[in-house]
Amino acid sequence: MQEKILEIMNTVLENRTKEKLTSVTPEMHLRNDIGFDSLDLAELTVRIEAEYDIDIFEDGIVNTVGEILEKLETK
Amino acid sequence: MNIFLKDIDNDRLVTWDFLIDDINNTSIYNPYCKSADYYNVFKQIILSLLIDEEIILLDSDFTESELINLTGCSDYTEFNKHIEKSKAPNLSDKRELLEKLSNSSKNWKITMFTSGTTGIPKKVSHNFKSIARFVKVSERNEKSIWGFAYNPTHMAGIQVFFQALLNGNSIIRLFGLDTKDIYTEIKNNGITHISATPTFYRLLLPYNETFPSVERITSGGEKFNEKTFKQLNQVFPNAKVTNVYASTEAGTLFASQNDIFSVRPEYESLINIENNELLIHSSLMGSTETNIDEWYNTGDVIEIVSKKPLKFRFVNRKSEMINVGGYKVNPLEVEEAILTLTGINNVRVYSKSNSVLGNIICCEVVANSNQITESSIRALLQSKIQEFKIPRIIRFVDELSTTRTGKLKRN
Repeated sequence: MQEKILEIMNTVLENRTKEKLTSVTPEMHLRNDIGFDSLDLAELTVRIEAEYDIDIFEDGIVNTVGEILEKLETK
Repeated sequence: MNIFLKDIDNDRLVTWDFLIDDINNTSIYNPYCKSADYYNVFKQIILSLLIDEEIILLDSDFTESELINLTGCSDYTEFNKHIEKSKAPNLSDKRELLEKLSNSSKNWKITMFTSGTTGIPKKVSHNFKSIARFVKVSERNEKSIWGFAYNPTHMAGIQVFFQALLNGNSIIRLFGLDTKDIYTEIKNNGITHISATPTFYRLLLPYNETFPSVERITSGGEKFNEKTFKQLNQVFPNAKVTNVYASTEAGTLFASQNDIFSVRPEYESLINIENNELLIHSSLMGSTETNIDEWYNTGDVIEIVSKKPLKFRFVNRKSEMINVGGYKVNPLEVEEAILTLTGINNVRVYSKSNSVLGNIICCEVVANSNQITESSIRALLQSKIQEFKIPRIIRFVDELSTTRTGKLKRN
């Protein structure tokens, strides 16, 4: 699942002509480490929803890669 | 220390004394204002008021082609001019500045650009009276400390700026900062007032700390949902939460504690309702290049709760404008920009609801070359339109979906 999330995140980054990631770890912060802004987070949630049918931001903002994985695993 | 502006993103900590010295020492004025540094924008607005000249606000992220479309050029140095000696402000202190500001400005106007319904952004100008209409200057407001959470070149930001400025308050920038920094700024500066879009608040929540200094929270633009409202009350236990209805054309018109808006008696004759759509009288509007009728149709559909006194609730917007985190995007403008790219036969821009931004921009594209990819379209658009207008999801289709009447479907 981590691989798939990496792929989705890289699509978002590539679309913004930002630098791609080589790997992700659960403790990575979406804004501070990966550099997502609110537009990127909005796109990320749509792309994850298309893949897993879960809106990761439905209950408020998530901050780290680990929190996303948690949401997807508990569903 | 008497702070005028703190902006950690631009490394600015400006006192009122510094501002006054800086204004006194400025000898050149340019009516075009385009800067990512909030201080430059605010100083230029104040200077324009003191010398009674027009100011034209441009978003700092406008692309070159947007600037040329809007103003006819993209380099404004030729508009630099010396401030006449007789007009030079020569301020002695903050009190004199505030006095001059509230008594100034016969010719002054402030011009902004807003998404027009035709696809081309339109120019809207306001005079001092229409900008200051909703500013409340009072002793009670003297000690307010504002968290500044809007773009400074948009109407909402301008209104917050004037509320803070005319009361001599401190302005602390929050817009565009990380969540952690936003909370640090609220705490360290004892911010009392915040006005922002629902998206701004949504990105702050949930949070496990409380900030008792905040007395007032204002939100406008999109609708606030119940969950955000509850989480806000937990983080800001002493804050009164208010919704406002505002537009670039008319500024703030109504405020409410919940989703029912009431009209102040003095405005009742300036509000009209036709077929459940809200019309406002032209005397409440800023001036635009196009002539407007006596009544301006806001495109907002409302539901009347009581007739006397007039109370109503907003149901939806009839217009096709898409609200992306508080920014209005005109799908026609985006479609026009995409159609200028080579290899695109047709395009339809539409919105999709989104838990982060309220709505996001999507599009369907009919391409005539398989060289064209989602990322190539997006990269090309970066030089044509502002980032928030660029579609986040692009689908390639053989033909566009249309409605039965042959119109392109938006939703």
